[in-house]
Amino acid sequence: MGSSKKKEAATRLTLEGELTIYMAAELKEKLAAALQAELPLEIDLSQIGEIDTAGMQLLLLAKRECVARNKSIEFLAPSQAVLDGWQLCNLSAEFGVQTDAAG
Amino acid sequence: MAKTILIVDDSASLRQVVAIALKGGGYDVIEACDGVDALSKLNGVKVHLIISDVNMPNMDGITLVKEVKKLPNYKFTPIIMLTTESQEGKKQEGQAAGAKAWVVKPFKPEQMLSAVSKLILP
Amino acid sequence: MNLDAALQTFLVESRELLEDMESRLLQTESEAADADTINAIFRAAHTIKGSAGLFGLDDVVKFTHVVESVLDKVRDGNVPLDSNLADIFLESCDQISALVDNVANGNDAPDAALEQKGSGLIDRLNVYLGVAPQAVAVAAPTVVAAPEIERSGIVADTDNWHISLRFGTDVFRNGMDPLAFMRYLRTLGEIVAVSTISDALPAFDAFDAESCYLGFEINFKSDVDKAAIEGVFEFVREDARITILSPRSCIADYIELIRNLPEEEMLLGDILIKCGTLSEQELNVGLNAQAELAEEISLPLGSILIGNGAVQADVVEAAVEKQQQVKDAKNKQQRLIRIDADKLDHLIGLIGELVIAGAGANLIAKRSAISEMLEAGELMGNLIEEVRDTALSIRMVQIGETFSRFQRVVRDVSKEIGKDIGLIINGAETELDKTVVEKIGDPLMHLVRNSMDHGIEKAEVRAERGKPLQGTIELNAFHDSGSIVIEVSDDGGGLNKDRILSKAIEKGIVPANHNLSDPEIYKLIFAAGFSTAEQVTNLSGRGVGMDVVRQNIEALRGTISIASEMGVGSTMSIRLPLTLAIIDGFLVQVGRSAFVIPLDMVVECIELNTNDRDQEQLRNYINLRGEVLPYIRLREFFEIGKESEIDGRFDGRENIVVVRYAGVKVGIVVDTLHGEFQTVIKPMGKIFSHIRGIGGSTILATGEVALIIDIRSLIEKVQANEPQPLQLLNE
Repeated sequence: MGSSKKKEAATRLTLEGELTIYMAAELKEKLAAALQAELPLEIDLSQIGEIDTAGMQLLLLAKRECVARNKSIEFLAPSQAVLDGWQLCNLSAEFGVQTDAAG
Repeated sequence: MAKTILIVDDSASLRQVVAIALKGGGYDVIEACDGVDALSKLNGVKVHLIISDVNMPNMDGITLVKEVKKLPNYKFTPIIMLTTESQEGKKQEGQAAGAKAWVVKPFKPEQMLSAVSKLILP
Repeated sequence: MNLDAALQTFLVESRELLEDMESRLLQTESEAADADTINAIFRAAHTIKGSAGLFGLDDVVKFTHVVESVLDKVRDGNVPLDSNLADIFLESCDQISALVDNVANGNDAPDAALEQKGSGLIDRLNVYLGVAPQAVAVAAPTVVAAPEIERSGIVADTDNWHISLRFGTDVFRNGMDPLAFMRYLRTLGEIVAVSTISDALPAFDAFDAESCYLGFEINFKSDVDKAAIEGVFEFVREDARITILSPRSCIADYIELIRNLPEEEMLLGDILIKCGTLSEQELNVGLNAQAELAEEISLPLGSILIGNGAVQADVVEAAVEKQQQVKDAKNKQQRLIRIDADKLDHLIGLIGELVIAGAGANLIAKRSAISEMLEAGELMGNLIEEVRDTALSIRMVQIGETFSRFQRVVRDVSKEIGKDIGLIINGAETELDKTVVEKIGDPLMHLVRNSMDHGIEKAEVRAERGKPLQGTIELNAFHDSGSIVIEVSDDGGGLNKDRILSKAIEKGIVPANHNLSDPEIYKLIFAAGFSTAEQVTNLSGRGVGMDVVRQNIEALRGTISIASEMGVGSTMSIRLPLTLAIIDGFLVQVGRSAFVIPLDMVVECIELNTNDRDQEQLRNYINLRGEVLPYIRLREFFEIGKESEIDGRFDGRENIVVVRYAGVKVGIVVDTLHGEFQTVIKPMGKIFSHIRGIGGSTILATGEVALIIDIRSLIEKVQANEPQPLQLLNE
């Protein structure tokens, strides 16, 4: 459910379908591979139809790892499902979306 | 797309009422009359939540939970066990097998809808 | 929510379950109850209670609950299922049945008598539970509110709840999604602020994608009570650390919360401030106060912190359970579907029309003489026939269920009349039309009851006669040339011919000088006015004579006959048509009128030559290969004028259709034979119901009406008219 391809200046990970517990283990492997690269990481979230807590914490992990490795990370075009989840957890700012606090 | 719920119980009338209540809450509902039937129904469509009675012919609810937990596509799917107050042991057996949610029989249709709503949105 | 349709399902379902429960209970009396049987009995009660609860049928739930509780003890082996308990359970079945009927009749509450019966049974059941009656109340709410502890101190200036959540690592594996709980929480009020706590996320390599590491601190605004909020997290109570602080809780409580959470104090303090639960000042006051009080004051945290979910129940990998032995019957049952009987009747009605339309098309095809069309017509005819047979077979049900009800009847009645009587059932799998099955129950009941009352002798008499002390009633069903035969046999004393005859003469049913055959004498007990107080059996408070049994059976186009031997026993045989809707007929013509004779009764057709006719005009019987064959002229019977007198078409030829019914052969004289013909029976209107010899009508492909001959009543009519009893040919 995801593919990574290297563009000029970034590694892009495109996630599709469900960002849920059923995909979590597989996505962690993809993420591990993507983190190996020196390039900045871009995660395309435009095709995510559903996100659960497992998916959410995976995104948090990715963010934290990049910060720890001094690598820039960008979450591209989050879908409505992702935006709703971020808002529910008040994580919109954390993931670089400009909104008010959750509520 | 509405989430699909599988209700497993050997009582047709119970299934019928639960189905009416859940459909009213915006869920899709499919029915199975026992564990064996339930496993075959899981093959056809993507089910997002399973409600199962404990005591059924052919394959009981506890065995069903254990079997479901072995299925790669369903091992994380929430399962609500229908227990009775006299079946505390069965409830614990079900929880140990991985069915952490339960509704005590007899229940009202609204109780079932709210139990389901806690676990998944329509 | 309209539950009417579902309620109907419930009524049917619970009756089936009760029947099953009853028959299994009876089974336990004759053989040791195995675990499967007891489990099935338990499940029946369990299912009825569960479903009744959904419909809010509290009376059913209340009573069934007690039954279920005792059954549960039986199932666990704590209480043995002896005959006394089986009795109570059987009576409980009746009680549940009565309660369900009460619902079916649209009554809100059971009447006083029913109520009283119920409480009497509950008292007897409670003995087995060994508990005071009030302890057997219906389930209390599962969420018990934690007692509010009186706390003193400065309260936080907030109108909102504070909810602190830390989930166990296994919640995902248990199918729980914390986000889902948050979404549900949103339906109860407003999530004013939330902080996602991700400090527990491990290092990348140690991170297990299927474990949960997150927590939440939530500022929640809502009017609901604490139990309602606790209810949201009910299913993760054991898998999570949940703290719910009411609005205006003591600051000390918040401080205590901070202390007890795994994260750093200052960080949590900030989070509570960010959430708007505490002000910075409140936090500082609280932390200082806490420091001053030091450790000596131990706050009863357990009452506030609900579920300290540190312990993770490991999922016990049980050995692969042996696949249950699944009986064929149960497998089959699983594939059954329930159909509205009206829909089925409609389908069969339509097929009836289709049969007629098909016959019409065939007629046109024949007239057109186009061979391809004839072939196509024939093919379609065959298919229609198959469709018809299949549709009719859908209506067919096994008689077993009806039979097994008699286990109970025989058991109860034997106790009541003080005779030891056993029941043997044969041919339970024999199928017949559902309508017939429904209507045969009552007549069978009377016959069985009659055999028990009058057939089986008292034990002393049996001993004298050298018979086994236990009497036996046998129910038997089988198919026989287009009919189904149901037999009720007993190994009792047999019918007393002389007594029957003398009584019949005394009552003026037969003249004194009549020379009757044995079967004819036996049949007299079914004659109207024969039954005396001695014969009238009292069932469910109704005194019904045997003549009513005969009428009921005749209404189903059936007959009843008796074979009996003094001292050995008797057998009553009910012969019924397989189905009531469509028959294969034999089309004949008399004058311009068309008649249909049920094909399964037709033995052969012969020509009645003029010689015979003239010679035997007066005798009304012919010599059929050495046998005496009595015959009936339809023309005379229905007073049809000769065609010759009307339009001269009558050619003087006549034919005899030889029919056999219940072992009796009779000839029916008609003009023309038209051959086999599928017939949809249209019942005759009520005003024609007195016409003997006609069983119904049908519409021919040409649109003409044909009358269906009711052979049985025709024969009876002829017998009644004969001055001398007909010497019928017994096969």
